[in-house]
Order: sequence, then C-alpha cells, then structure tokens
Amino acid sequence: MAGYVLVVELSRAMVVQEPGLAPAALLLGGAALAAIAVGWRSELLGLGRSRFGLRLLGGLALGAVLLLPAAARSGAMPMLPAGLAFAAIAVSIGEEIAFRGVLYAVLEEVGGAPLAILGSTLLWTLAHVLSHPPAFLGAVAAAGLLLALWRWACKDLVGPIIGHVIADLGL
Amino acid sequence: MKRGAILAVAAAIYLLAAWMVAPGFYDGFGPPQAYNWTCPPPQAGANIKPKSGHVEIKVINGKSDANSAFTDDGQIVIGFLPGAFDTTGRTTITVDITPLATCPQPPGLKFVTNVYQITASAPLVTPANLEMLYSNLEPQPDDVYRADDPEGAWHSIGHASTAPPFTIITTTTKLGYFAAGYKQSSPASGAVVVGGGQVLPIIVAILIVVVVLAGLPLAMMRRRRSSGDKSDGDEP
Repeated sequence: MAGYVLVVELSRAMVVQEPGLAPAALLLGGAALAAIAVGWRSELLGLGRSRFGLRLLGGLALGAVLLLPAAARSGAMPMLPAGLAFAAIAVSIGEEIAFRGVLYAVLEEVGGAPLAILGSTLLWTLAHVLSHPPAFLGAVAAAGLLLALWRWACKDLVGPIIGHVIADLGL
Repeated sequence: MKRGAILAVAAAIYLLAAWMVAPGFYDGFGPPQAYNWTCPPPQAGANIKPKSGHVEIKVINGKSDANSAFTDDGQIVIGFLPGAFDTTGRTTITVDITPLATCPQPPGLKFVTNVYQITASAPLVTPANLEMLYSNLEPQPDDVYRADDPEGAWHSIGHASTAPPFTIITTTTKLGYFAAGYKQSSPASGAVVVGGGQVLPIIVAILIVVVVLAGLPLAMMRRRRSSGDKSDGDEP
C-alpha cells in the first residue's frame, strides 16, 4: 500500500513538470491517492461525523499554523490559475486520505500510534522528495508530523484535510 | 492536556522549520524558490538580487555549437541550436545575460518579471528558444516582450502554448532586452486572482479570530458539561 502511494506521488511529481500536464497530473494524482480508501469505513480513517464543528475549527487552526510563516514573511497569496487551484484542492484531499487516513490506519494496526505517526510522516516526506528541493524537506516533514499528531490526538482527519487545502491554496 | 501539549510542540517545530525556508510548507504548486527581483513588489518578502549569466559557445567546423545561456538563479534560459550564430572569423561566441538595474514599465504594458539584457559577440541567424520564470506574486504573463532599448518600443514575441508551471517559453530571432508581461488594458489571461497585496496576513488573522471566537463557546460548553458530569457523579 505504501509502495502504491509512493509510486502515485512520485509519478505525479514527474508528470507535473511536463508542459501543460500539471493540472491533469495533480487531479489524477489526487484521485488515485483517494482511491486507496475504497472499502475502508470512514470512522477508521478519522472521517466520522461526531464533533464536526470542532473538527472544522481544528482544520482552520491547522491552516493558520501552516500559513503563519509565509504570512509573516511575504504577506501575499499566490495567483494560481483556476486549473491549478482545483488541482491543489484535489491533491490535498487525496494526500490526506492516503497518508493520514489509510496508511496511518494500517501502520497503527501493525505497530500502534508511534509507528503510525512516524511511519506516515516518513512516507509523506519520501513522497515529496522529487517535487521539493532538499531544503524544503525539513518543513515538509514537520508539517507531516504536525498533521499526523493531530490525527492521533483528535482521532480526526477532517482537520488535516481542511488545514492542508487552506495551506496549498495559500502557498 | 498532554496531547494538546504535544500538538503545541509539533506546531512550534513546524513554525521553526518553515521559517528557515521561504515560503514554508509548500506543496509544489508555486515556484519552488522565491523570485529574485530587481524591483520587488510590495508583497515580496526578503529579496535577493537577480543573477547574471555567461556562456562561451565553441565554433566547430565553422558552425556554432548547440548550447544554452542561463542566469545563476535559473530565471532566464536561452537555448541555441547548432549554427545559431554568424561565426565569420570567430572561434567562440560569448553570450551574456544581465538583469537590468532599473524596471521600465512601458505605457500599456505591465511586466511581471525583471528585464534582462541578452548580448552575444556575434549576430543570431536562427531563432533561439527563450524560457523565463515568473513569480506567483504577480498575474500570469500573456507574452514575452523584446526591445532594442529598454526605454524605447517593446514588441510582443509571443509565447508557446504549453510550458511548465510559472514558466513562459517563446522563440526569438534577435537578442536585446526581454521581459514577460501583459497588456495593461486587459487582465492577464488564465490568471485567477486568489489574493494579492497583503491579503495573506489578513486571512491568517481571520482564521485565528474565527478559531478563538468559535473555540471559546465550545470550550465553555465542554467545561459546563464536564462539571455537570462531576456533579452528577457526586450524586448518590
């Protein structure tokens, strides 16, 4: 399962560099990542409906934390072409379902919460090796750790999805 | 409470890690590195001056070799095919790319990149491929523009229909001054203004205010509920 997610992510990172293929690669990549959740009960992935207001609020808080360094530095939001903005939303949702949803659940079943948190963070960082310059990987890993810890602490995936979408649209 | 503290520590680690690389958490939709501006827009953060570039192209059997010139920060690349230059009496061709120290804005045009001067020690005889990066802080440019004099007339030299994100590609038959931009009378095509200006701090501030304002009643409700449970528990 981890292999499938990594192949999807790394393929996406390569295809995105091809002229004109970025939005399609991101949309398809997001869909391929989300497809991994087929057959899983939403509660096991942290997608239950209980305390939805708190989950929503948590997502906004995570989004604020993820954007805070950029807000303090530049003050500007990117001007994403519409296709890329929709693709950014799709890939954010797909990544959260794959990494903090299914992979987290599988790793938790195998080795408990510590393996789920560290394993999903490691896989998430590996998946971004091709799409990010090495200098960015520390921030990527730290973001993955924060989102995985949220998943563990709140047993929730709605917050990470919302936070991730906000951060991707903002950066 | 312990989980909350762990989350707070993780948030602090993220803020520290993201502060060390601009723009922080980034998922690959914008340019991986901040654009180096000659004249940074107000919304740009810390700025590094744009770099220049230089290449010496060999002349082999009377033909200039295939090669490309690019600036050290990769913001502009010009590629030459074999035989791109008139090599009469030359053994090498020198190409230099220099960012202009000023930022001309000709009437009716809005440049979204630096202006670069590209010179060569021999005349260009076949078209060269030109690639320019642009920033995510400005709208998407419609075309690349060229001029013989930065204060003179600028002419569109078009753009290729496909290019990697935040890159504009075209070809040129002449060297000179180059910049990417759009006609000011019409907004840049395909550009959806998600934000701009100083909007990001405002959005983050709004997020924080919403979280605090909505979180307070929720926290009070939880406290009341837990104290209610405690008093229920005290009952015999």
